[in-house]
Amino acid sequence: MIGEKPMAKNVMEFQHVSKQYDDNVVLRDISFEIEAGKFYTLLGPSGSGKTTILRLIAGFDHASAGDIYFDGQRINDVPANRRQVNTVFQDYALFPHMNVAENVAFGLQIKGVKKAEIKQRVKEALHLVQLDGYDNREITAMSGGQRQRVAIARAIVNKPKVLLLDEALSALDHKLRVQMQTELRQLQRQLGITFIFVTHDQEEALAMSDQILIINDGKIQQSGTPVDIYDEPLNHFVADFIGESNIVPGIMKKDYVVSINGQDFDCVDAGMKPNEKVEVVIRPEDLDITTVEKGKLIGTVETQLFRGVDYQITVIDQRNHKWKINSIHKTKVGAKVGITFDPEDIHVMRYNETEEDFDARLDSYEEAD
Amino acid sequence: MRQKAMFIVPYALWIVLFVIAPLVLILYQSFFNINGQLTLNNYAEYLTSAVYLKMTLNSVWYAFLITLVTLIISYPTAYILNKLPNKQFWLLLVILPTWINLLLKTYAFIGLFSRTGTINEFLQFVGLGSHQLLFTDASFMFVAAYIEIPFMVLPIFNNLAEINPSLINASYDLGATHWQTFRRIIWPLSMPGVKAGIQAVFIPSLSLFMITRLIGGNRVITLGTAIEEHFLTTQNWGMGSTIGVVLIIAMFIIMFVTGEGKRKGGQH
Repeated sequence: MIGEKPMAKNVMEFQHVSKQYDDNVVLRDISFEIEAGKFYTLLGPSGSGKTTILRLIAGFDHASAGDIYFDGQRINDVPANRRQVNTVFQDYALFPHMNVAENVAFGLQIKGVKKAEIKQRVKEALHLVQLDGYDNREITAMSGGQRQRVAIARAIVNKPKVLLLDEALSALDHKLRVQMQTELRQLQRQLGITFIFVTHDQEEALAMSDQILIINDGKIQQSGTPVDIYDEPLNHFVADFIGESNIVPGIMKKDYVVSINGQDFDCVDAGMKPNEKVEVVIRPEDLDITTVEKGKLIGTVETQLFRGVDYQITVIDQRNHKWKINSIHKTKVGAKVGITFDPEDIHVMRYNETEEDFDARLDSYEEAD
Repeated sequence: MRQKAMFIVPYALWIVLFVIAPLVLILYQSFFNINGQLTLNNYAEYLTSAVYLKMTLNSVWYAFLITLVTLIISYPTAYILNKLPNKQFWLLLVILPTWINLLLKTYAFIGLFSRTGTINEFLQFVGLGSHQLLFTDASFMFVAAYIEIPFMVLPIFNNLAEINPSLINASYDLGATHWQTFRRIIWPLSMPGVKAGIQAVFIPSLSLFMITRLIGGNRVITLGTAIEEHFLTTQNWGMGSTIGVVLIIAMFIIMFVTGEGKRKGGQH
């Protein structure tokens, strides 16, 4: 595997990259590929190592081990100023002694682009981020949202192959953030540049990305499309981190049958050892409240919150597991209720299964069908 | 509100007694001649006399040279200090000499530079012979710069430390080399520190008198020397005050020139 020539359509590739500062290991043997022209999100809690990956791509930090490829070239030793990558910084990092146009023009001036062309490209870039006519504004006279746009314009004006965005929306208020998510997604499609977006906000990641890499503890926990990751989380961390989940222990009796609380349920998972201990994930929106007679599980309603579109209910079952349920059906606190779900709502996770093993297992039993 | 006003009283009193009153007294004194008669002659003499003109030019020229030498030494020092792991400790070492009395430091240099001093002894020992070091322009500049360096390093150091490191990363990210980053980002953003340093060095250098006498051997007569002479030797307080007023005006001009002007960005 080591030193394998990367595939051409991958604009970027990490091969067994590790990073440590003194004794503090930040990244542990990370490998992944970035396909050209897609919107990637590195998602993880703070301290997970996601920003370190970004710094390695930008060239602000150097890998302790492993290889980083860009367009098929190993770039471990290429300094930041000679990489075809531009960054939108978390604090925007706009030059305070320059106005908007000067900030945006900086990269082009450094490259020695002709003045007339600089003027044209700065104008286009400001137009793309909807800041037409702001050329001569001082940075200090711009709002947070406007600064964000200047930072994006300053990066994309250089036409990088990869645009890095470090927690780029986290300083904005909620409404502006949602608006910028849509705009960023549009901008990415329009420009066809590969975006690598770092965030700790799972909603943001699900909303914007073609591909998500979930990082925790210096490792990639899972990678895939937002739908894949939401529907088929690989492990406890991912299931818990992405969206809301009920995660309970279970036993895989045989293919397509899992036991929860000593009761057997049909499911759509297979390929485990008989009677293997597993974890079972069921999303709150896949559970519903019903009568005790019709319920697959039975419990007592502990809390109920009205949230506009639905009720957020918690039910304690007979084995003392707490179930989170999002239902349009109203119930009463203290009431005995049944919980229903369908076989395809159950997702079974094995302990310590790698992404490769997971994919192989999935292939094996889907082929068998 | 009343309570807040109370807090201002000691500061206002201080400023009136020790800043405004002396300035007014100097201004008042400058309109009297040596016999105590009200006159404008002091100013007339200052503005028409070749001696005073030369003295003024000398003062400005040497203050300029001292400031320049100090800046050339201090900027790289502050820059490197900022990159060191224990930068506060190293900064302390740079500032340490300011805790020692100026006169003591000056005498120490006499000991080092004199005909029988440490440096000449060393030069003789290695066979280069004894040289006249004291009472030269070079030794005067050296000692003046030595004394002023901490006052230049400190504001520049503080200013450089305040520059957001992500601005420097942003510059590299946009393709700039180390030198381009320095010239277009670090240097312009450190200008407030440089200006503060220039103010802290140039203005006191205009009125140096002890070093000009003890190290420079009074070969260079600056305005500071002249004030000292008029007050202590010739007892012509009026003329001394007039030169004082000129210095104060010069200081305001420097403050104005190096002060916080409108931001000047980019290289256009």
